[in-house]
Amino acid sequence: MKEVKLFLGPQHPGMHGNYSVHMYVDGDIINKARPMPGMLHRGFEKLMERRYWMGNLALIPRICVVEPDPNEMVYAMGIEKLGKIEVPERAHWIRMIVLELARLANHLMSIGGIGAPVGLYTASYWSTADRDLLLDIFEKITGARVYHMYIVPGGVRKDLPEGIEEEILKTIAYIESRLPEYYDLVMKSPIFHDRTVDNILLPEEVVWELGVTGIGMRSAVNKEYDIRKVKPYARYDQVEFNLPYAPYSDAFTRVRFKYIEAEQSISIIRQAIEKMPKEGSVRAKISTGNALRWKVPAGMVYSCIESSRGEYGYLIVSDGSEMPYRIAVRGASYPQGLLGVEKYLPGHRIDDASLWMDTMGVCAPEIDR
Amino acid sequence: MNSMNSIVDDLKGKFDIINVVFPDDMQMAVDVDKNDVHTVLSYLKTIGYKQLSLMSGVDWIKENEFEVVFIVFNWDNGIHILLRTRLDRENPVFRTITGIYPGAQYYERDIHEFFGIEFEGNPMSYKDLFLELWDEMPPMRKDFDPLAYSQDKFPERKYESQFIPEVGVIK
Repeated sequence: MKEVKLFLGPQHPGMHGNYSVHMYVDGDIINKARPMPGMLHRGFEKLMERRYWMGNLALIPRICVVEPDPNEMVYAMGIEKLGKIEVPERAHWIRMIVLELARLANHLMSIGGIGAPVGLYTASYWSTADRDLLLDIFEKITGARVYHMYIVPGGVRKDLPEGIEEEILKTIAYIESRLPEYYDLVMKSPIFHDRTVDNILLPEEVVWELGVTGIGMRSAVNKEYDIRKVKPYARYDQVEFNLPYAPYSDAFTRVRFKYIEAEQSISIIRQAIEKMPKEGSVRAKISTGNALRWKVPAGMVYSCIESSRGEYGYLIVSDGSEMPYRIAVRGASYPQGLLGVEKYLPGHRIDDASLWMDTMGVCAPEIDR
Repeated sequence: MNSMNSIVDDLKGKFDIINVVFPDDMQMAVDVDKNDVHTVLSYLKTIGYKQLSLMSGVDWIKENEFEVVFIVFNWDNGIHILLRTRLDRENPVFRTITGIYPGAQYYERDIHEFFGIEFEGNPMSYKDLFLELWDEMPPMRKDFDPLAYSQDKFPERKYESQFIPEVGVIK
């Protein structure tokens, strides 16, 4: 037996972000895998301790590049819990719309992104173009395309611009009409079938062992385990949506779930636009005087929401001063990205390694932080 | 809230609980002695807290202590439990919990790297994870000053203003 060491990443079209896996291969079977994070370590947790509560708003969206809004939401939710701040009703609904738009954009990106490891590049071109329409909406709402800094403690930064509701409805109707075409392009393709059906399994025991959440968990344990359902935040308890779940999790199931969840996100956005109060305040007053010198009462709280990859949470510790005392980030893909790669990537073939990363939802920036 | 109170009563009947606080509805923080952590965690796992959501550290430098926080979650009732314990800051040693939650392996490496807390029984915990070739004190400790570190490590360099040599004019 002859073993060869191969490097997957940090620069590789099949990797998401600058993340590396050292693979020891025999033939084309991986015998041993070592995750090598740290190339995107920017020291966010330390930086946050040295900035004001308000100043951190510009920093936190950068923790996860593809889906920045959950960071803003968990940060705002944690501070609201510590400071006992009541968020205005309209702000809750606007937050939901923004979060679901972000989830939709991220699912589109990963549905297209699956094209790269299986060799269906058309899908990624289509989805990048369609995701751009959602970024246009973000630009109109928040002024920025990727890092929005829109959800702030006490509500949202500013009210929705006039007439944006019709525009959102028009865009999501277009994306809804496109989803069947994606289904035909990707899910019915024999190339895709050959690579994903009964490949890269995720049994229920592994879910509990690692602590995988999100689509991976729901597709394995056959229960609707989603933070939006189990402990609803914002106004998720007032909208109706059904999430897919299954007892058998292979790569194909997990990608299929992304389609169904994208449809559900569209339905949630429609309901939110219909049910939200048409006017009212969108931001509670959190401090008197200089917002930069604003203090949060002492305490420790864990706030979490459901991002597109699973449970995303912050442990926020305040000592009552102008800066956070400690913030720890739970990246949704931390368990499968590190221990999962080390324990369960071996046994797969080299060409399935990037497919493994993709369908397990490994996102390097939130692992490194 | 009722289910939370019944869990608290249950835990108080079985273990020595130092303190319980409720930071939020559906969330409670339980303080225990460091020798009780493993028994409490394995009991929690049997009553449905199957998922370790996060494990992290806090440096309380004024009290000269480290705090280790284990966040476990029960998906059936939606309650997060923050199990907290304090360690001496001079000699922070703790036993690994990978026997109870195997997913803790990398969290322990993470904490070892950023706080310098040793986890006995986790052979991987001494390996570098994020900070390769780090030669200073663990960076998430409160007495570590990143500004001084970067000034020392990357001293300011002087740039000369005329770094492009003069080019003769072609006639």
